[in-house]
Amino acid sequence: MSFDASTNVLGLAFITGVTTGGLSCLAVQAGLLATSVARQAETDVTAQLAIRHVVAQRKKRSNRKLTKEQRRSERAALATLAQPEKPKRRSTATPIALFLAAKLIAYTVLGVLLGWLGSVLQLSPYSRAALQIGIGIFMLGTAARLFNLHPIFRYFVIEPPRFITRFIRRYAKNNASTVATPLFLGTLTIFIPCGVTQAMMVLAVGTGSPLLGAAIMFAFILGTTPVFFGLAYVATRLGEVLQTRFLRVAGAVVIILGLVSIEGGLNLMGSPYSVSNLLNSAAVSIAQASGTYQDVAAAQPDANGAITIQASNGGYSPNLIKAPAGKPVSLTVVTSGTTGCTRGFVIPSIGFQRSLPETGQITISIPASAATGNLRYTCSMGMYSGYFEFT
Amino acid sequence: MAKQVFNVKGMHCSACVMTLEGLEDELAGIRSLKVSLHKQRAEIDFDEKRISEDEIRKAFERAGYGLARA
Repeated sequence: MSFDASTNVLGLAFITGVTTGGLSCLAVQAGLLATSVARQAETDVTAQLAIRHVVAQRKKRSNRKLTKEQRRSERAALATLAQPEKPKRRSTATPIALFLAAKLIAYTVLGVLLGWLGSVLQLSPYSRAALQIGIGIFMLGTAARLFNLHPIFRYFVIEPPRFITRFIRRYAKNNASTVATPLFLGTLTIFIPCGVTQAMMVLAVGTGSPLLGAAIMFAFILGTTPVFFGLAYVATRLGEVLQTRFLRVAGAVVIILGLVSIEGGLNLMGSPYSVSNLLNSAAVSIAQASGTYQDVAAAQPDANGAITIQASNGGYSPNLIKAPAGKPVSLTVVTSGTTGCTRGFVIPSIGFQRSLPETGQITISIPASAATGNLRYTCSMGMYSGYFEFT
Repeated sequence: MAKQVFNVKGMHCSACVMTLEGLEDELAGIRSLKVSLHKQRAEIDFDEKRISEDEIRKAFERAGYGLARA
């Protein structure tokens, strides 16, 4: 998947983050934050109460005359008490900012690792397709869990081991607010991802690219940040109704991501049942019915069985080639300043996969034995595809 | 001492589990509190003389969750 082709996925990841990512993890993470800044807050509150007390005392005594000396000592007392309040505003926002920054960095690094894991797992187009379909199913399961369709979908969330959650909880409680504590706690949140975050993590694995894995996690966590910061800062809770609505939006977005993933997997497998292939077939049928079939799409190899297709950022052209069955084809794929995912060229049924040059061409020999029925070619993420129709 | 299993309402991820298990440290009289997200249940071992079921339920509600005997 390339950046231009994955912009939608990144956008969706960001939207998921904005709408629900923050909320679904907020309960515990805001709790972690609260405990880590609690001591500072406690000091501030005590100081404020003390100031109020002195002011109240002063008002009480305002009827009687104070000596200059008494006034001076009261002012001094107020000034001393007021001092801890000044750094308070900074000190409440700073740990939250540090916590969220650490979280953003930690998850981005995690995204690199997950993307790398995905690239290691990329054994063949079929295994990759299976992985993508698996990811899609996991996402649909996650969405079903968010919609609370059936208790069985609760198993679509992976629970972190109890000792990790206990350690994080107690660390947060026993350590005062410093620079290190929120940073450390922010980093530790990668061990307690909530369901939506887990869905994003599997999506990062599915990209098979460290860079894109990092980009997805970055976009998602960045999306969670404003909601998180806002809510943690004003320390309010959303009403349950609103929260449920947000979860539904998350569910819907995760469903889209899941379907996109399954669609890619099906294309990658060369399945005729992917939505894009079904739509293609429908378009061809309609064209055939209206007698404009030849005009619409089909290209044919020359007398020597050679055909050239262009791989641009927007797909392959032509994406339908009609060729005689049982005759070998020499397929040349041309790129010209192509930076999209179409550069990862795959013909699943003959096990061909190769990264095309940004500008240049490669020629692939399709043996006579493979020249039968429909032979699909696709990009490595299954987002763009085309096919030969051997007749 | 009493060991009681409760149904918990409103949990949707492991963060909720962590929040609720944190009550173990906050509420005096609770010896252990194990929460299962998958079963949507909490197994609470508590000292009835020091804390009542009602107080535990209220603590759960304050955290944003429902608690009822299984």
